[in-house]
Amino acid sequence: MAVVKRLCSAILLLGVLSVLTYGLLAAAPGGPEHVLLGGRPSTPETRAAIREQYHLDDPFPVRYARWLGDAVRGDFGTSIYSREPVTAVLAERLPVTAALAGYALTLTVVVGVPAGLAAAMRRGGALDQGITLTSLVALSVPPFALSILLLYGFAVTLGWFPVFGAGDTPLERLTHLTLPAIALATAQAAIVVRQMRAAALDLAAQDFLTFARARGLPRRRVWISYALRNAALPVLTVGGLLLAANLTGSVFVEQAFGLHGLGALLIGAVGQKDIPVVQALVLLGGAIVIAVNLLIDLAYVAVDPRVRRRA
Amino acid sequence: MRISALRVAGAGLIVDGVDLEVSPGETVGLVGESGSGKSLTARAAAGLLPKGLRAEGSVAFDGREFLGARERRWRSVRGTRVSLLMQDPFAMLNPLRTAGAHIAESLRGRESRAEVARRLAEVGIDDPRVAGRHPFQLSGGMRQRVALAAALAGDPELLIADEPTTALDATTQHDILMLIKSVQAARGMGVLLITHDLRVAFELCDRVAVMYAGRVVEQGPAAELAKSPAHPYTAGLLAAVPAADRRLARLSGIRGSVPTAAQVAATCAFAARCDQATHACEEERPPLRELGPGRRTACLHEVRPRPHVEEATPPERPAAGAEVLRVTDLRKRYGGHVALGGVSLHVGRGETVGVVGGSGSGKTTLARCVLGLVAPDSGTVALADAVRPRHRLVQCVFQDPSTSLNPAMTVGAALAEAAAQGPEEGRLGVRELLELVGLPASYAGRRPAGLSGGERQRVAIARALSVRPELLICDEPVASLDVSVQAHVLELLREVGGSMLFITHDLAVVRQLADRLVVLSRGEVVESGGTAEVLDSPAHDYTRRLLASVPAIP
Amino acid sequence: MRVFLTGVLGLALVAAVAGTWLAPYDPGAQDLALGAAGPSAAHWLGTDDLGRDVLSRLLAGAGSALLWPVVVAVCTMLLSTSLGLLAGYRRGWVDAVMMRTVDLAIALPGMLVLIVVVGVLGGGYGWAVLAMAVLFTPGDIRVIRSLTLAQRELAYAEAARTLGLRPARIMFRHLLPNLAPTVVASALLSFVAALVALAGLSFLGVGLPAGTPDWGLMVEENRGLLDLNPWAAIAPAALITVVACTATLLGDRAFESLSKGGLR
Repeated sequence: MAVVKRLCSAILLLGVLSVLTYGLLAAAPGGPEHVLLGGRPSTPETRAAIREQYHLDDPFPVRYARWLGDAVRGDFGTSIYSREPVTAVLAERLPVTAALAGYALTLTVVVGVPAGLAAAMRRGGALDQGITLTSLVALSVPPFALSILLLYGFAVTLGWFPVFGAGDTPLERLTHLTLPAIALATAQAAIVVRQMRAAALDLAAQDFLTFARARGLPRRRVWISYALRNAALPVLTVGGLLLAANLTGSVFVEQAFGLHGLGALLIGAVGQKDIPVVQALVLLGGAIVIAVNLLIDLAYVAVDPRVRRRA
Repeated sequence: MRISALRVAGAGLIVDGVDLEVSPGETVGLVGESGSGKSLTARAAAGLLPKGLRAEGSVAFDGREFLGARERRWRSVRGTRVSLLMQDPFAMLNPLRTAGAHIAESLRGRESRAEVARRLAEVGIDDPRVAGRHPFQLSGGMRQRVALAAALAGDPELLIADEPTTALDATTQHDILMLIKSVQAARGMGVLLITHDLRVAFELCDRVAVMYAGRVVEQGPAAELAKSPAHPYTAGLLAAVPAADRRLARLSGIRGSVPTAAQVAATCAFAARCDQATHACEEERPPLRELGPGRRTACLHEVRPRPHVEEATPPERPAAGAEVLRVTDLRKRYGGHVALGGVSLHVGRGETVGVVGGSGSGKTTLARCVLGLVAPDSGTVALADAVRPRHRLVQCVFQDPSTSLNPAMTVGAALAEAAAQGPEEGRLGVRELLELVGLPASYAGRRPAGLSGGERQRVAIARALSVRPELLICDEPVASLDVSVQAHVLELLREVGGSMLFITHDLAVVRQLADRLVVLSRGEVVESGGTAEVLDSPAHDYTRRLLASVPAIP
Repeated sequence: MRVFLTGVLGLALVAAVAGTWLAPYDPGAQDLALGAAGPSAAHWLGTDDLGRDVLSRLLAGAGSALLWPVVVAVCTMLLSTSLGLLAGYRRGWVDAVMMRTVDLAIALPGMLVLIVVVGVLGGGYGWAVLAMAVLFTPGDIRVIRSLTLAQRELAYAEAARTLGLRPARIMFRHLLPNLAPTVVASALLSFVAALVALAGLSFLGVGLPAGTPDWGLMVEENRGLLDLNPWAAIAPAALITVVACTATLLGDRAFESLSKGGLR
């Protein structure tokens, strides 16, 4: 029941998002024909051809339904700028973005989780204050400014890392992506640190943990069935925040480091008014956000009997 | 178990030199008001002090020292030697695990469905299906039973029970206490019962130790302590406890407030609030001196017996004046839950009517309906007249002193704002209002954070009276206060008089105030009548159970 | 620490108000013969590739970089506080309608929406500021609402209702002061978010014409000059970072000291 309810709301949200996305074309300055013509000369003939090709004379709901039907089958039309199928353009750019996101996520978890726990254990101490302050600062540094500072420090001045590009061999790729991944991971790690610290402190104050220890339960049992399972709930919530930070962050970081990923594609497409590409990217991003939030909700249902019961 | 010279300190000193011994088969009570350090003493005895607190001294089981031991060594005795039962059944169980899992995991190797069912039966749960329920599906009393079964699963020799019934309903409280008593007797184990309620300690314990400001001020056999307290603090506490079987002419509390352990490290802890204090009490810390076998006190003096408080002459029943409240057939449901199932009652001018009931009886919903905070589904609420706005006819003193005043407003501003809502003619100023409730005028500039719980309730009373309402509703006004403070607030309510609807779960408290009683159970009036008649010869089964659950002082 | 933080922010605001007037050169004046040069006595932070004075451009850009975020923060604070209080205090259908809308708005990745909306629809700071206020408000509404819901159940709020005080008085005189730490802290956070987002938009080249003296745009235009005059890109990036961190830390401190003084 709980699952069905959440699934329905996710689908509804996706529907609203798709309408808004499709509406972009109609709302674009100059109207859809102008946009779809791109740089081509605007004559009555070409305009008529465009109207014909894109069925612009049909009413909005019909056009929307046709577009959505194609989109669901993976057809987002052709890019106005490169004249290639949008899907192909996306597929070409995906690997860089995926590698960057994966790298950054690894850094986030490897640094954020232990730092958050360490801060909680030394609550109020110098280490805690240091970590808390650093995470606050990390949270407010804009990723593009951090990118420039990192580039100047480690690539230009020290020469440890390459300045531009994504590299070709796996090893090259790793060195090329290190600075961008750090720039992207900083804000995310800060979110994880703060959430971990809060969750650990909250948990330590819980009576049920004391009561478990009072009964002399083995340490492994206390850690796994009491601490970790209960800490999982607040930490799960952070998933949505991380994703948002990752999606927006990668746009800036790719731009700053000259990486040809999806983020850079979006900026390029927005600049060139390449609406089909923008639509595909927005819908893709939205779908990922909605899917991840749905997964988080479902994980909640799986872990917490109270949520199962209430819904 | 033997505790000696235990000191617990965090940012300040909290427990200062506690000695205590519990033998097998013995029940010892550790009694103290909030801030006395009794709970931390219990925690230290199980090696479970919260982070940031350190303990010194000695905690030994069978002569082996455990204070300062590593977690691994503690773990070997927890559950089997010593087990801890805590206060809040809502927080003590892991919300993600079933009741059965809690018991099974503490059984260590002997876990089986039959054994879990047997353990549940030991704590009075005969329905084996309970093992499969999660804590949120169980009532508070059930949870406390499950927690007790889990605490006992390792068959400990000593059970430390830290306020095990405070969070429960009156009748459930009694059941759980009796359960602990019977389990203790059947198993022959030692019990250290931590409580703020002297009556509970006297009812259950063989010996009682009274704690004050981080130290034990008196200990001895329960019956002797109750009969002839040898410390002025114990005597004061005893005098402040209201009784359900008689109405006292005067309720006496203890003046002043509890100091911290650090403030009184070098004097008698109680000297500043004691009527018998002499110069010698301030000079040095009085030792815990031997009075008789097992009897010790930290007072230098012979305690003067308190003047015997006369039973009040049955208060003259006010001539039934005009009605200030008539409630007729009031009904309110929340979802499937019936909060009020047709309640009718009335309050005459100058009369105090007590509404008594446990949680879920609908007594608070009744108050909220009368106050207009909740709209009833059906039924009527008629106040003194229909001309004046409701807020000039009825006002309320709420339960929780920690939230009853706006933390962002000074006492003066809050009182002035309230007074402005009343009629202009005869309006009282802030100074007069403070004086009315026995507070100095300088309190006007203070914020609630600078006030004690009792003082906040006084301000809340002043705020309600400032409008000069026809009817004052008191919703558990003293339930969150310590006994010594409670007596003062009750006495104040008696003094200010007027027409009152007094809502409480506590029969002893209501006996001191009410002219008439209305007993509420599951949203229905089950009994009503004059206070003395109802409490001396209860007609309804529920009233009898409520009465039976009030522990008496021997 | 507090004095230092307030000092930094104060200095930044002075630059924002009087920046153009303080600038030693015309921020748009080119010196193509000089081109991109490092710091010198004449140009403290050097020049960009068109020979424009970096310091002057930074000072000239301070106004738009800092004042617009203030506008966003103030709008967001006013909107979210009043709507959040209303939803939490009134409950019922007002609350239900508002929360459904908020849920929907929060599910959107805000920055991407900004990039797309401002990029496709065009139109400089104006649209961006409006879009930001609309995007930031829902999150704050949710926070204020849930705090209001908790506060209104407390005895002091019930007492205020029992006293027959008007709802507006209860909301603004009784509940609001107890939400003050959160209101102030989230206003500062909105300021930071708007500062970072606006600079980010111009860094991406979305919304502003090339050549405008704007911190984000300067980072973008001058990031190719890291070997000739690194200051041309580093200085604006560092300034954005410092102001953002300062405001965040100040928000954190303000929340703590306000909660200690006002609540409990």
